[in-house]
Amino acid sequence: MWTWEVPAYFWLGGMAAGAYVTASLAHGFGSADDRRATAGGYYLAAAALVPCAPLLIADLGRPDRFHHMLRIFKPLSPMNLGAWTLTGFTPIAFARAASHAAGTGLLRGPLGALARLVPTRLAELAGCALGLTLAGYSGVLLAATNIPLWAKSKLLGGLFMASALASGSAAVTLQAARRGAPDATLHRLAALESAASAGEIAVLAGYLTQSGRTARPLTRGRFAAPFWLGAVGAGAVLPLLLHRLAGGRRGRALQSLSAVASLCTIAGSLALRWSIFEAGKDSSEDQSASFELSSG
Amino acid sequence: MIDAYKRLMNVESPPPPKRARGFFTDTSLCIGCKACEVACKQWNQLPADGFAMTGNSYDNTGTLGATTWRHVQFIEQAKANSSRQDQRWLMMSDVCKHCANAACLEACPTGALIRTEFDTVYVQQDICNGCGFCVPACPFGVIDRAPKHGQFEAGTAHKCTLCYDRLKDDMTPACAKSCPTASIQFGDVEELQERARHRLAELKARGETKAELYGMPEGKEATEVGPLHAFFLLLDRPHTYNLPDIPRLPRQTMAQRYGWSAAVGVGFALIGALVFRGRR
Ligand code: SF4
Ligand code: SF4
Repeated sequence: MWTWEVPAYFWLGGMAAGAYVTASLAHGFGSADDRRATAGGYYLAAAALVPCAPLLIADLGRPDRFHHMLRIFKPLSPMNLGAWTLTGFTPIAFARAASHAAGTGLLRGPLGALARLVPTRLAELAGCALGLTLAGYSGVLLAATNIPLWAKSKLLGGLFMASALASGSAAVTLQAARRGAPDATLHRLAALESAASAGEIAVLAGYLTQSGRTARPLTRGRFAAPFWLGAVGAGAVLPLLLHRLAGGRRGRALQSLSAVASLCTIAGSLALRWSIFEAGKDSSEDQSASFELSSG
Repeated sequence: MIDAYKRLMNVESPPPPKRARGFFTDTSLCIGCKACEVACKQWNQLPADGFAMTGNSYDNTGTLGATTWRHVQFIEQAKANSSRQDQRWLMMSDVCKHCANAACLEACPTGALIRTEFDTVYVQQDICNGCGFCVPACPFGVIDRAPKHGQFEAGTAHKCTLCYDRLKDDMTPACAKSCPTASIQFGDVEELQERARHRLAELKARGETKAELYGMPEGKEATEVGPLHAFFLLLDRPHTYNLPDIPRLPRQTMAQRYGWSAAVGVGFALIGALVFRGRR
């Protein structure tokens, strides 16, 4: 039960949300350069959302009944809340991407005319609210169980949120760097991405402290390598260092360093979701951890 | 308007509530015959799980699961070279607890899991889409999803129904009916609780000092999940029977978890606004 589709969906959904929020922040507060360089984030968000619903559906025991998720509205169940959030966020992300495409002349004809009608500010605000819900609910969903590794600490939702925002802003940085964005914009994106990575490390430290011995299936077991080397090392510490290194540079050097750092963050975010998800299965067999969860 | 909607959507009003029904499983009477396991499988037409030997006492069932809704646990308590008097062989027929605050029911995103008119917890097989969320949510590891490509109701979640079909016809659930020692007793929950208190006093008077009830409204195990409508008389600590001291209800800490998550999200948005601000 519950196979690779779940962490893959959490990763892509989180990245889509992070990219959308980052692009919207740049559009709301940034310069014309910032807006131009980050608008690709809307395309990325829409693209990352395409496989999400299929992944979610593929993991069901009865995929033909996926729509039963939407026969009621029950926010008490994170699974139900998430299904509704994805249903709401996906069209908004597509509408915002289409509106940008219409603005640049990529989308023409009647579809372009339709896309021009999208109220961009409203789409950005609503999309950010739904996107942040999508980025955060996945950790809360895993934590709203009786699996010790997921449930012991209160911070798994915050951890997944930080990781989603780091990977999403990294995705925006990556496309900006590849398309040769101005140095100032790249520096700002790097600052934002680094803040998310630093936040992720801080929340992770809290998560591991709160979990205590319960975290052993993750920190010592067969998932120790993907977790420490992949999620923590390559996914959070290395990009921080690389962005630091890129801080004083400009032009080509800045672009390549930013791109490498962002790739690391994106890969690390997948490693984090996957290792915590899989180690949770080992944790469910850990009787003493279960008793710890239910004691006192 | 509402009536028209109800007619259109085929919404029926729920059956009128009945008195809460449940099980009192008195493990001091269990002889480990597994009649309950067999009766449950027969009545509910659950397929056999194979003939694997676990090597763990007389327990070749292993765990509760999608096709195993009663499971007799065998616990051998014997130290090396201990005398006959110091040795015990505990038996306990485990089942879904039909929690008053059921974690599985709260987790279910489709509304497949419902509370019936008998105050029991029931999976509607035609609604469940097999999302599997109820499985890790249950603090007792009871409910399970059937294999996706198996023979039996593939891909959906299953557990004890308290023989909902038999209850509707005022019949005793199959396991309780078949139990030869009245270790499994069926009835109105409140009446059973009274009976359990008497039985405990009786056993204590006879010198069973370690005996305790598990799942009563006054027990600490009811803190989060509420009284269990299938509750137990145990002869040792709950841990011995693999039962949690305080079964956790995920809802209790959910707001706090969302809170931390939201704090991180808002923090990021603020930093983003600061980073980009004033560059127009
Ligand atoms: S014991 Fe588990 S499956 Fe049974 S009602 Fe309680 S939470 Fe649900
Ligand atoms: S597997 Fe079925 S019963 Fe369990 S939570 Fe999902 S929809 Fe509800």
